[in-house]
Amino acid sequence: MTGSADFFEDLFRGLLQGTPPGAVYALIALGFVLTYKTSGVFNLAFGAQAYISAAMYFKAHTLWGWPKWAALVVSAFVLAPLIGLVLERLIFRHLRTASAVSKLVVAIGLSVALPELFNQAARFTAVAGRQITGIMPDGSSVFYDPFGVYRFNRDELAMMAVALVATLLLAALFRFTMIGLAMRAVVESPRMTEMSGINADRVSAFAWALSSTFAGLAGVLIAPRFNSLVSTDFFTLVVIAVAAAAVGKLVSLPRALLGGLGLGWFIAVFNTFLPRWSGDHTWLRPFQENLTPSLPFVVLFAILVLWRAIGREREASDPLSGVDPPPPALAALERHPKLTLFTRLFGVGFVAVVGSVVWFRAGVLWMHLVTTAVIMAVIYLSVTVITGMAGQISLCQGTFAAIGGFTIFQMADRFNMSVLAAALLGAGVAAAVGAVLSLPVLRLGGVWLAIATLAFAFFFDAVMVKFSWVGGGTTALLTGTRVPRPLIGPIDFASDRAFLVLAVVVLVIVSIIVIQLREGTVGRTLTALRGSEVAAASIGISAARARIIAFAVSAAIAGLGGALLSMHQQNVNYSTNFGPVNALFWLVIVVALGARTVEGAIQAGAAFALFEPLILKGDLLVWILRGEDHLPGLFPLSGSWRLVLFGMMAIQFARHPEGLVEHGKRRSAARINRWLEAREGAAS
Amino acid sequence: MTALLAASGVSVAFSGIRALNDVTLRVDAGERVGLIGPNGAGKTTLFNCLLGILQPDSGRVMLNGADVGGWPVHRRARAGMGRTFQRVELFSDTTVREHLLIAERIRNGSGALWKDLIGRGRPRPTEIAACDEVLELLGIDGLADQPVESLSLGQSRLVEVGRALMTGPQVLLLDEPSSGLDRDETQALADTLRAVQESRGYAVLLVEHDVSLVADFTERVYVLDSGSLIAEGPTAEVLADPAVRRAYLGSFEVS
Ligand SMILES: Nc1ncnc2c1ncn2[C@@H]1O[C@H](COP(=O)(O)OP(=O)(O)O)[C@@H](O)[C@H]1O
Ligand SMILES: [Mg+2]
Repeated sequence: MTGSADFFEDLFRGLLQGTPPGAVYALIALGFVLTYKTSGVFNLAFGAQAYISAAMYFKAHTLWGWPKWAALVVSAFVLAPLIGLVLERLIFRHLRTASAVSKLVVAIGLSVALPELFNQAARFTAVAGRQITGIMPDGSSVFYDPFGVYRFNRDELAMMAVALVATLLLAALFRFTMIGLAMRAVVESPRMTEMSGINADRVSAFAWALSSTFAGLAGVLIAPRFNSLVSTDFFTLVVIAVAAAAVGKLVSLPRALLGGLGLGWFIAVFNTFLPRWSGDHTWLRPFQENLTPSLPFVVLFAILVLWRAIGREREASDPLSGVDPPPPALAALERHPKLTLFTRLFGVGFVAVVGSVVWFRAGVLWMHLVTTAVIMAVIYLSVTVITGMAGQISLCQGTFAAIGGFTIFQMADRFNMSVLAAALLGAGVAAAVGAVLSLPVLRLGGVWLAIATLAFAFFFDAVMVKFSWVGGGTTALLTGTRVPRPLIGPIDFASDRAFLVLAVVVLVIVSIIVIQLREGTVGRTLTALRGSEVAAASIGISAARARIIAFAVSAAIAGLGGALLSMHQQNVNYSTNFGPVNALFWLVIVVALGARTVEGAIQAGAAFALFEPLILKGDLLVWILRGEDHLPGLFPLSGSWRLVLFGMMAIQFARHPEGLVEHGKRRSAARINRWLEAREGAAS
Repeated sequence: MTALLAASGVSVAFSGIRALNDVTLRVDAGERVGLIGPNGAGKTTLFNCLLGILQPDSGRVMLNGADVGGWPVHRRARAGMGRTFQRVELFSDTTVREHLLIAERIRNGSGALWKDLIGRGRPRPTEIAACDEVLELLGIDGLADQPVESLSLGQSRLVEVGRALMTGPQVLLLDEPSSGLDRDETQALADTLRAVQESRGYAVLLVEHDVSLVADFTERVYVLDSGSLIAEGPTAEVLADPAVRRAYLGSFEVS
């Protein structure tokens, strides 16, 4: 009898404990749904916005010594809506007719760029271990225990109160104000908007300001639960919000609210009971240890994959966009043969010059960096396949690469397998995982597919890596995940030069493969699908089959690249190389520089490894100016400008899906083309 | 004789509103059949059911005597159904010939991942010849290397027809090929369609609300109004039927 009384008490305690974080999740989920419904933007940058408000609050209160209320007002009620307004006005207003997927890429670019932009602009660096305070005086040390089972501290009470008030205000706004009514009309029945003469710009600006305020509030409220202010923690927060919002299929505000609360409850109850059960059943223990941190992702993945209604809920195009036609696509360019010759010659010359400089002049450090660039180019070719060719956004390329690295680590470690064979095996395992993963997620398509891959990446990160047969378990913690360099006959690739040659050979082979695919049946099938899915089906193309192939090939390339990177570093270095948030930057840098072409991937690889030392640290300038002494005082620039720059460039994806650099190249090629033709015309 | 393509008792409702109500129709091999009706009558919806883009709430779709109800779109396409779209659906970033080439490759089924990998995936001369033949037949061989973004609407429609023809269809479903075209363009399109149909001999199911095109081109016609069939039979007879004319609210004159 006491057993069941205990059970209910624990359940009740779990529910109480889960309410404050649940309230914050609900807050951010509400904001998320609001932006999605009014502007069709799946705003993954919400986490970045929440981070900025939290950091601003920390800076104002803790560093400047402002009173809490003033810090709160500035961070959540001034800065947050301002950011929302600026984003709407400068970016999303102009993307009304863009596809949901390209708007998602824009948001991903923002989520990479915004936190670093703030950090640089405000000269903010979070100090690890500094206590992050909540919004209440003595918030974490004064407790209330209304039911005698769980002690809420003041901050937790504030979380619930703020979320409650915000929700009530939102409801009142929807009910009683003109702009609220207009917004509700847009949210509930997009079709009505076109007819009823609602001012789309105003509604969308207002919705962005409002939802960004919610994000900012959530950021400030949740910050004390993190150990330090790192933007990646806040990115995780937005994934949780997506899970909550998915409960309402991203369309229903009340359900998003419930979803957020429910997720908070579920996590808390789960955390209460699982340790107890696994005390009785030891086989549950690894799950308990691994599953707890990844619960939101597991829930999200399960919702996406199992709930059939989600797939049918195709992405909302912008309800405010009216009937504008989509922007015209860039016409393919017919090149003058001379131009082709020139560009080929230039390319070969460039590679020859850079190659010989590296080969004859580079020291250990530069050899290392160039090798990294080459290997990253291999990995980025996997993005070329899945995003450039298949038009799908995969956010788990880091996971596929990690699978390659871990395979080679395990095989070499346990079975003493040949390293190159293990690398190929790793590519194969990654391909198999990619194919299996694609089965349930392909049905989703578009934005949902991207989110499912993101959830998978987080799941792998939180659960799979911990298993000893993947990440090496506890022994790996001590000795690291060591990977040897290959040895073929007399050639020992432990030499950095030899290894660079190996990496270049692999890059050339993979580049040729990608070009063959693009020109072959697979590439042309994917181009057809990207152009029009119904039309492709109408000539007998099976979208599922084509995309499974694309996923598997892309995963294999990523796996091979990941294996190569691990060999290069002689260690898998999972979290620095392959963590889920890193992979976001991969996508960003590739779409910024050109996702459709092999050159784009190579440029992205070079930019990833070399942009920081060459440009930001000023080494290129030192070389040009012949000496460190002449270097202007502002160098070295912070490496995070890299994130800002490429994040901002990725924002252009919606208008130039071929990549900014590629776009620029096409434009100047067209100009030279015209010039050549004009000259020829004059001559004849 | 079993029909080439038959729908029986097909009904569809969108959130409770009936878009199709117990529609039965058949197309025999080589036949030219029309499907007319005012805007919103359910013509495109019926097309989508025939092709598997939409699952009907009830009713069956048969192709060559086989129930294709559970088949996905691409399988029906391979089994002999080709179509064009009311709102043109072309593959962006490709040329006219590439549209036909990919359709030809899918039809002959010779594409495979491993062939791509060893460099055997590029268009073969025989495939290019087959495409050029169809382009010539449609009179758009001059446009073969044009990116489709640069085409006029009428030309785009012909590219859609060509793409569908490359799949070797037994029945071609045309969804309002004349919409957006002026009178001369429509006439030219009708002439081309007729010439090509006569030389290739496939069946056609033509959805139109331009009645003169239907009168000109089809042998038999079905009339759909608010989701229900209100008439069927030889084209000339049906078009003379007062009930049919009333459904159109006098919006056309039969010449
Ligand atoms: N996906 C859909 N969802 C809801 N209603 C639809 C959908 N498609 C068509 N309808 C409705 O079904 C009816 C028939 O449409 P449609 O088949 O396009 O007509 P037609 O092609 O004859 O002009 C119309 O009232 C239309 O509004
Ligand atoms: Mg129609």
